[in-house]
Amino acid sequence: MSIFDKLGGKKDEKPKADFSNVRSGSSSTAAQPAPPAPIPSPGSSVGTTGTDQTYTVVSGDSLSKIAKRYYGDANQWHRIHEANRDQIKNPDLIHPGQKLRIPGA
Amino acid sequence: MMQYSKRISLSLCLALLVLAAACTAKSANDTVGTSGAAVKVTDVTLGRSVGADKAIADKTETFAPNDAVYVSVATDGSSPSATLRAKWTFEDGQIVDESTRAIAPVNHERTEFHISKPDGLPAGKYKVQVFLNDQASESKDFEVKAR
Repeated sequence: MSIFDKLGGKKDEKPKADFSNVRSGSSSTAAQPAPPAPIPSPGSSVGTTGTDQTYTVVSGDSLSKIAKRYYGDANQWHRIHEANRDQIKNPDLIHPGQKLRIPGA
Repeated sequence: MMQYSKRISLSLCLALLVLAAACTAKSANDTVGTSGAAVKVTDVTLGRSVGADKAIADKTETFAPNDAVYVSVATDGSSPSATLRAKWTFEDGQIVDESTRAIAPVNHERTEFHISKPDGLPAGKYKVQVFLNDQASESKDFEVKAR
């Protein structure tokens, strides 16, 4: 029995392999999925930062719906209307692709 | 009259059989249609390099420590969003690396994952497991041999 064995070690025990600096990557012929449309949840920080945001109108939107998304209250639609008077003549008529300024709280 | 009734019954039975066969064929076609659209992994290949088409240019399952190890994953099917994951493990069970890539595949696509180590990959046996949408698809074993 060797001294090594007496000390409780194993002669053939390999040191643990080190993978701390492994570099990795990937690429694909496939496109990456389109990022989801930014739809803030009611009560998120959007309404509390005090900074304006830009929102692009999509099909099926109304000022009430957008107000509900950003402020959590559909009745706040007039704030968005006021901030976009230059491009919204009729608050019942907004168009997909229109970029609206959403005033912060 | 009796013979006439028998003929009517026989005709009805035949009509029912034809109808049942048609329904079975329709549902079989539906299944094919659904599975045909789903994304699936069709091939997993290892090698030292990939081409612009992300297919392995230099196939091997034995590498030198300073080689980059590539795994090329072929998929068939279309989806607006799918995830491929490659999990690389060493013979002692250590996870060497785990990478995920989100893809929006259309028909036949190839995705490559690779690992390397500036001071050389430790010699030993490795495994790379490929997951599609978090479901294990295929795995490949390879070995790194010191020169």
